[in-house]
Order: sequence, then structure tokens, then C-alpha cells
Amino acid sequence: MSAGARASTATKTYRPAMGAGWWTRKRHYFLYMVREFTALPLALWLLWLLYEIYRAGRGPSAFYPPSSTAFVVFSVICLLFALYHSYTFLSLAGVILHFKVLDKPVPSRLIVLSQFGLWLVASVVIGAVLIGFGR
Amino acid sequence: MSETKPVGFSGYATIEHKPALAHLFWWFMFAQGGVLAAILIPVHILVQGILGPLGIVTVVDRHYDTWIGILGNPIVKLYLLVLISLPFFHFAHRLRYLLVDLGVPAAKTVVAQVIFYGGAVLVTLLAIYVLLTTAPISLG
Repeated sequence: MSAGARASTATKTYRPAMGAGWWTRKRHYFLYMVREFTALPLALWLLWLLYEIYRAGRGPSAFYPPSSTAFVVFSVICLLFALYHSYTFLSLAGVILHFKVLDKPVPSRLIVLSQFGLWLVASVVIGAVLIGFGR
Repeated sequence: MSETKPVGFSGYATIEHKPALAHLFWWFMFAQGGVLAAILIPVHILVQGILGPLGIVTVVDRHYDTWIGILGNPIVKLYLLVLISLPFFHFAHRLRYLLVDLGVPAAKTVVAQVIFYGGAVLVTLLAIYVLLTTAPISLG
């Protein structure tokens, strides 16, 4: 854009010049976009879970357990995004949360560690229920 | 900070600094949804989406009577409502800003906010409806 053209539009709305592909230029930008994108596969998987619950309400004759290869592949892809969301989101806790215990700030590494510990405990408990009550 | 304030009929300054309660609410839902998604979703995908379908372990949703039985438990219903609906308040924000980052400024408008956060509310209502109509509540 020439200097003249820029001057004539100076009082108009500012339009950022970044193209839609800005996030492909740097690894860091790319990973940021991957983190934001994780919402989509996770949303799809939860909608599938809601559909499975709905399907159970239609009676035993219409019921079949999901076993197709396509579904397993879909789940594997969703799991990779889910793990990336968990890793990035729980790591953030160390930046966001600030506590003091006995007038001493709790180190952020300890906070992050406690978040990952919570994730591990919750996963073991939920996994045990899902598998233990199954047959 | 001092500023010249217009004075209303009552004689009191009319400038009010309202707390951004709506902002606080949606931000809280974004954070809670994010934490819940991070802690709860991976194990569900691993067990119900991969290990169960591959036949590696037994899972509650592989047989009709086990699945419908566990879905009747009120605590399970409440848990599933939290698991399914709260993350959508997180997803709504993330996906709206994903569009902004991809060069869609329209995703910043009020209309877009209504569509995305309204979508999360819709999923919540849908989840409540499905959970209440799927299996009768029982403690057995």
C-alpha cells in the first residue's frame, strides 16, 4: 500500500494486515492454534457420548456397542487432542494460581504438579468405575 | 483519579462503574470447563473410545443392560451432565477466538457471542433432556 493511500484511510477503521495463514510461520504460533483447535475434536467426542446415551434410551433391540475401526481411529485422534489440551491447560495453572502458605508463596512447579496429580487420580478412579462396573 | 462528571437531577454523579459481571461469569465458565475437560475427558476417550471397542477391557457401555442400569443412577446423570455440558462453555470461547485468529472479525460481534455461548447453553439443555428421558432414575 502506498503512503498516500494509507494517509487517506488514516481515520478509518484499523485493519490488521495479518493474513489467515500467520500461524503457519512459527512453530510457537502453530502450537498455539493447535491448542485452540483442540476444542473441536473434544466437542465432537462429547456429542458422540451424548448420542450414545440417547441411543440407550431407544431400547435393547436398537442397541449395539460401537466397535468400528473408523470410530476407534476417530477416538485416537480425539485422544491426542485431549491430551494436548490437558497438558497445556493444567500447565497454565502454575502461571494463573498464586497461593501463599505460611507467608511463603507456593512454587508454581508444585501447583502444576498438584494439577497433574489430580488428573492422574481422577483418571484412575473414572477408569476403574468404567471398567470395573462393565462386563 | 479525578474527572469531570455530569451531574444528574439528584445531584449525584451519574457515571457508574459497573462490575463486569457477565464477563466474570463467562470467564469463570471458560476456566471451569477447561479444567473439567482437561481432567475428565482423556480417560473417557481412552476407555470408551479405544480400549472398549478393541475388546481389551470390559466397559459399562458395551452391553445394553449394564449401560442403561448405570445411566439410571442419579449421581451418574449429574456427573454426565457436568462432563458433557461444562466443557462446551470452554469450547465456545476457544472456537470463537479460533475464528478471530483465522481472520474472521465477525466472530467478535455480539451475534457471534450469542451463537457460540448460546450453543453451549443449547448443549446443556439437550444433555439435561437426554439424561432425564433415557433411563428412569433409580438407585438400584
